[in-house]
Amino acid sequence: MIVEGTLFPLDRANVDTDQIIPTRYLGAVDAKGLGAYCFGGLPGIDALYAAHPEATIIIARENFGAGSSREHAVWALQARGFKAVIAPSFARIFEENAYNNGFVLATIPPDALERIFTSASARIDVANQMIAAGGESIAFTLDPLRKEFLLGGGFLRYMAGQIETVRAWEASARG
Amino acid sequence: MGRTLFEKVWNAHLVRELPGRNGLVFIDRAVLYELLGPPAIDAIERDFNGALYDATRVIAVNDHVAPAKDTSTAELALELRRWAKKRGVRLYDVGNNGICHVLVPERGHVMPGSTLVCSDSHTCTIGAFASFAFGIGSTALAGVLLSSAVVVARPKVMRITVRGRLQKDATAKDLALAVVAQLGFKGGTGYVLEYAGDGIASLSMDERMTLCNMSIEAGATTGMCPVDETTIEYLRGREFAPKGDDFERAAAHWRTLVADADAIYDAELTIEAGTLVPTVTWGTNPGESAPLSGSVPFDADSAALEYMGLQAGARLREIELDQAFIGSCTNARIGDLRAAAAVLAGRKVRIPTIVTPGSQLVKRQAEAEGLHDIFQDAGALWTHSSCGACPGLSTGVLAPQMRCISSSNRNFPGRMGMGGRVHLASPVVVAASAVLGRIASPDELQSAVPV
Repeated sequence: MIVEGTLFPLDRANVDTDQIIPTRYLGAVDAKGLGAYCFGGLPGIDALYAAHPEATIIIARENFGAGSSREHAVWALQARGFKAVIAPSFARIFEENAYNNGFVLATIPPDALERIFTSASARIDVANQMIAAGGESIAFTLDPLRKEFLLGGGFLRYMAGQIETVRAWEASARG
Repeated sequence: MGRTLFEKVWNAHLVRELPGRNGLVFIDRAVLYELLGPPAIDAIERDFNGALYDATRVIAVNDHVAPAKDTSTAELALELRRWAKKRGVRLYDVGNNGICHVLVPERGHVMPGSTLVCSDSHTCTIGAFASFAFGIGSTALAGVLLSSAVVVARPKVMRITVRGRLQKDATAKDLALAVVAQLGFKGGTGYVLEYAGDGIASLSMDERMTLCNMSIEAGATTGMCPVDETTIEYLRGREFAPKGDDFERAAAHWRTLVADADAIYDAELTIEAGTLVPTVTWGTNPGESAPLSGSVPFDADSAALEYMGLQAGARLREIELDQAFIGSCTNARIGDLRAAAAVLAGRKVRIPTIVTPGSQLVKRQAEAEGLHDIFQDAGALWTHSSCGACPGLSTGVLAPQMRCISSSNRNFPGRMGMGGRVHLASPVVVAASAVLGRIASPDELQSAVPV
């Protein structure tokens, strides 16, 4: 799996899910329609969109996706045409939601992020966990199981495959 | 080697270890609500014939915007209602409902040592009952409906020892804000926060829920409090708690749900409760707070100050307000309403003030105690239970630049309405601020003239 595109430099920490998709759009528009409201709660977003109309890979500061559990944050990013986010850290629920939807998150050290922050584009090789940007090659961390969900797809199919194991565990552990 | 409280609950629910730090963890209780439940329902109905692992483990609540405020929220509530009926899932609907994190414990749907998930980040509230309770996304929730299990990276465990007692006008909310400020908005990421110490033992369950509720605001997976007699007495007699001898047998097990004395933690933090004072946020995340008697810090983030319309060094007590809100899963239980009513008794609010009880049971209890009269005599609006103004959905949405002091948990840009400015504080500070029309602590009211 290769994700390639121009970068969308979001020079902020703590971009929370209320900023990615405000609560009032949840359930009010379908998942595809969320793209029109992506970053609808982020002050100054219009100028950023105007400056980077074709960008598909977000590069942001620490703690991206903090706050609410709304999976709509991932759906809004996908509907807007974003393919991945590169950041030094992500909030837990957002990270889980991204992988469950095949949306790529690349966690890289802050100094590496600094070096490529103003690069025009990036190429993310998920299988090999490498980012190429600004003439650099940067390795990124990825949980092995979440990687399986990304590459193999089908989180729910995986969970469906666990049902018998869970039933057997419940029968023995709970008597 | 001794075990942490978290480890005890984790070990009792670990179906199997998975690659990485992940575990397949059995879930005793799944909770859905109208806003973020339907995507999980859709996934299961569409691809898995609607098959539930065990419908008796599932609870549905119409809570976020209940009753519905418009067509789309009515459609979401209707979907939840129809699905619950079709699949035999217990539903708490308009009139008999409450914010799910308030309702679940008060009805006895959580037991110490259990696991619970909901598609809401504030599910960590329920960790106050020594349960491993945490928020997940809608697809992960669909996985729980299907298999009664989650895939979760095993968190590290941080012990937060609270020593001593809260002093006058300092509350569990101020303790929660202190935890978030000390850890930072992301400092708890990857951790379960295990609260411990005599400062926790002295808190009521309502207060412990307030504290655990804001664990997510430091990025933590959840918070947990150990079981003690306060926990057990809270659960005694609750609708779905065990009864009679069954309860005593259960309680004997619950008493083991404390950390071993020699448990080893991945990180530690100690807070002296006696040093805490009424606190208020000045910024755009819950970690950006200061003592109410102080000022906006000089090193404050400039983007946050611009959004909030504040200057570094501004005195917090001089900030004028447009609205006050007492509500949310953080601070709308009966203890919170009693505390706010004690401040408002015999006084009048100067700004629109909205009081939204955390559940319909809390509402009825408050009315039995006459608290609704105190609020309404003071000029506040007494509403039905819902998430209300907190997520900016109904009954108190802010206009751009409108400034609200709120007992809720999030001050993110746009949280309570586009461009709206939110200051988080305890219910007593919100009440005092409503009376004076500016950020204020209850002790400033001493000189005011009560009726």
